[in-house]
Amino acid sequence: MEKLKNQPIFSVSDFIAVVNQTFEYAYPNIEVEGEVSSFKVNQGKFIFFDIKDSGGSVGCFMTVWQLRTPIEDGMKVIVSAIPKLTQWGKFSLTVKSVRPSGEGALKKSFELLKAKLEAEGLFALDRKRQLPTSPQHIAVISSTQAAGYADFIKIINDRWGGLKVEVAHVQVQGSGASDQIIRAINYFNQQESLPEVIVVIRGGGSADDLAAFNDELLVRAIATSRIPTLVGVGHETDESLADLAADVRAATPSNAAQILVPDKNEIIRAVHVQVGSLLPRIMQLIDQQKQSIEDQLCKALDTIEKLVDERVVQLSSLRSVLVQLNPNTVLARGYAIVKGIIKTGSIIEIETNKAILKAEVINVINK
Amino acid sequence: MSSTNKTIQEKTAELSKLVEWFDSADFTLEAALDKFKQAEKLAVDIEHDLTSLKNEINIVKKKFDSEN
Repeated sequence: MEKLKNQPIFSVSDFIAVVNQTFEYAYPNIEVEGEVSSFKVNQGKFIFFDIKDSGGSVGCFMTVWQLRTPIEDGMKVIVSAIPKLTQWGKFSLTVKSVRPSGEGALKKSFELLKAKLEAEGLFALDRKRQLPTSPQHIAVISSTQAAGYADFIKIINDRWGGLKVEVAHVQVQGSGASDQIIRAINYFNQQESLPEVIVVIRGGGSADDLAAFNDELLVRAIATSRIPTLVGVGHETDESLADLAADVRAATPSNAAQILVPDKNEIIRAVHVQVGSLLPRIMQLIDQQKQSIEDQLCKALDTIEKLVDERVVQLSSLRSVLVQLNPNTVLARGYAIVKGIIKTGSIIEIETNKAILKAEVINVINK
Repeated sequence: MSSTNKTIQEKTAELSKLVEWFDSADFTLEAALDKFKQAEKLAVDIEHDLTSLKNEINIVKKKFDSEN
């Protein structure tokens, strides 16, 4: 009793304040894992639910703005909270954030948010913008220590040059990652000289590692960015809501680099092939012209030959006629040429094939 | 960038135009050799430009782990 006398006597309000101070000092931020039950939203602003396991149950309170990923009864979650005794003496956890725990809960939460944002049209194809074909100023949001970032930079440097690349180094997994990425997106969107594209990249990881990219506010920030977005998160088989909200989705960070810039080696090769194809074309045209000239010459020669042949035939024919007309030919056939005046008593000359005769006309009988 | 100060895009467009000329009705053997030499030079310039350009990568100084 003596001891009790030295104890302070609190008012109820003071007692509650002292308890809360003690909680705050002892547990400034605790994480509790359990299953959600009795989830409800009041006035569209306040969220109440219990978190329980087989041995107990604790009430939780938070605002709708703090809930970054949908939850429902039965889901296993980890809440980050401050313990609190309310003015009505009820113990509860004032929750700062909730994240699904375990593969099943992550999947469920993913599906719930996906359905919600899909219904709002956030992933609609007609919202997607095209990326510039050959950008000169790009923004990259990633962890500069991540393997995915190194892959991206290597491929960008291998493929293209002359780019201005601004990199925002952020956390890409764990609590706080989504907020950092959102701040980086906002930062680039507020620059005087806007980058032509924002690239968000992160290499592969477990579903828990990639959960930051399924955060509702991050997905909305990507969807509403003034600057077109390219998101390459995880491996080819991974799908995040950030991917779905992006203007262009890359399967991996390396793939993001491939999508973003053309391959200079491919261009150099194509340019040389293009020029190399010109010389054979010139040679081909020279050959064609040569062939055409040869053909024309042949044709001219053919025409000349034909004309000569025709003339030869004509000449031959004329020669035959001439031969036929040659008096010697007639004489050879036994005829004779008679020259002189055909009247009785005159002397005429008779030429035969073999002799020339002088003869007197003895008689002339008219036919 | 090579001495002519044209961008890679401009040079590529110029090369495409030259290549098109070889297929056009304007093609003459007399002009072809000069055009071919121009195309060859452009190809060399484009390769030079593409291989000599380096990317400028800057890490933003701002920290994103808090609002400020």
